[in-house]
Amino acid sequence: MAKTTYYVPIGPIHPALKEPIRVEAEVEGEKIVKVDVKRGFAHRGIEYMGMKRNAIQTLYLSERICGICSISHPYAFVIGSEKALGIEAPPRAQYIRPIIAELERIHSHILWIGVIAHEIGFDSLLFWTWKGREKVLDVLELITGNRINYAMYMIGGVRRDLKESHIKALRDMITYYWEFTEHMKEVFLSDPVYKARTRGVAQVPKDMALKLNLVGPTARAAGLRMDIRQDIPFDAYADMDVKAVVPQDIVGEVRGDAYDATMVRIYEIEQSLDIIEYCIDNLPEGRILAIPNYIALLNKIKKTAGEAIGAHEAPRGEVVHYLKYDGTRDGPSVWKVVAPSYNNINSWGYCLLGAEVADIPVVVAYIDPCLCCNDRVAVVRDSTGKMLDYSFIHKKAVEKTRALEKELGVRK
Amino acid sequence: MTLTAEEIFDKLKEKLGDAILNYEFKEYKMGVKRPRTYKEVWMEIDKNAFKKVVETIFEIDYPHLHFITGGDIGEVIQMIYAFGLFHRHPWSEVSIVLKFDLPKNELVLPTITDLMLGAETNEREIREMLGIEFDGLKNKRHLFLPDDWPEGKYPWRRDEYGVDDMIKHTHKSVKDIREERGEQSG
Repeated sequence: MAKTTYYVPIGPIHPALKEPIRVEAEVEGEKIVKVDVKRGFAHRGIEYMGMKRNAIQTLYLSERICGICSISHPYAFVIGSEKALGIEAPPRAQYIRPIIAELERIHSHILWIGVIAHEIGFDSLLFWTWKGREKVLDVLELITGNRINYAMYMIGGVRRDLKESHIKALRDMITYYWEFTEHMKEVFLSDPVYKARTRGVAQVPKDMALKLNLVGPTARAAGLRMDIRQDIPFDAYADMDVKAVVPQDIVGEVRGDAYDATMVRIYEIEQSLDIIEYCIDNLPEGRILAIPNYIALLNKIKKTAGEAIGAHEAPRGEVVHYLKYDGTRDGPSVWKVVAPSYNNINSWGYCLLGAEVADIPVVVAYIDPCLCCNDRVAVVRDSTGKMLDYSFIHKKAVEKTRALEKELGVRK
Repeated sequence: MTLTAEEIFDKLKEKLGDAILNYEFKEYKMGVKRPRTYKEVWMEIDKNAFKKVVETIFEIDYPHLHFITGGDIGEVIQMIYAFGLFHRHPWSEVSIVLKFDLPKNELVLPTITDLMLGAETNEREIREMLGIEFDGLKNKRHLFLPDDWPEGKYPWRRDEYGVDDMIKHTHKSVKDIREERGEQSG
């Protein structure tokens, strides 16, 4: 009998993927009949490193977990640490923190919208959306000094204050994005081609979203009203009654597909603009750090034992940090990070079964996967299958460099 | 319809009785202009009653699983499961944290994937990182570690099954490395 199914591997290195992951699909004609997802190509063992460092070093290490949401992990980390150590950030800091977090949500959502346009083969739209994203990156650079990895937060506050000029730039930006989101609604949500390409693709019903433990815009697109900023609010979010953005509130019905996910994300940009506006209108005066001396802060951490869960609603969904301080060292003794993509990748297997090969990029992209939140561990073996240790590989590399230097006549 | 942390705890206590060894309500104040509070329930439970505790939580309402983690603290592995009940309601999510110790000669737990499909990811991670077997877990392939990862090595363990011999600097502080080299620290 002839072979009826074929094996289609996608990744870990593939033009449709921005980061390494592997989707293995078995197809019958155009239809996918079996799926397996392999992750772990970007796992660096950051939690392990963090448990050997002090809390301030670990805070900035947590910023490097993800290249896009580089404020979400520090946010969950500081909230968890403050809960565990009993530190309260000054009011001004509690209002500055959400501003930075929302700026990040705006740039992350626009980035995703560009990526999804690229995945469906509409590259001019990708360039147009990313051009619009530059504005928020400029504002972030103005306030923090960096386009990503802002190093803004500290346990018990923030490290940099907002100046009048920053607030003016923020107000200009808000006006700019109210216009830009209107344009985006037109070119994405009202466009028949975009609708045809995303309606019914990557569809997750509400009960399945609960069972798969989905979070963030992916869960909200399926109609679940979940949002950390609403369920267990913190900082300035607690003052302003944030409501989860769900499709049933926007258009009256939920389908839970890639189209709904786009809609939720565009309306969340508008929600972020409102949050930023509220924060700058109500910005309290005063200090920005509870314990301005870092040595004193580390000493306090060393003497305090406690554990807590810190959670923040990252652009992709709930990010949770569990922290335990044992009162003997100045850093966390246990640190566990759960990033949103960890849960959202659960939906791929479900969405891809029965879908078509051309839908793979859309399904993969619709959750806005952030694979930095996973580790790479390379086990190197020689031809006999023996495992090679680090010092052996290092020795070989040095030998090769020396040989090359000799061959090329490099003088020292 | 949501329940408060105390009401949830009363329901659990009624169903489980002595299986709850110790408990604590943690209260946190949030907000600047209109400060309000929310509570979390932290419980130490009997490891044999683990599945029953989880089933009882699922009877109250379908929860959200925050995380599963564990720590090697010497003779035992301390497991921590964190669920969030009544998420989807403003100010009403109650996090329920379950803690229990697993002796190292008996690292087996019942799976919760029959109740929550998405927990497969978490259980596969714990299985490869700590070496805990999950009874009833269907997919036992490695999650983050490569398929040719050596057997009997678990990155989160701090005993002879740990990975200290497989890595070089990543787990050490700059101070440790300097001291090893005999250089002045600081």
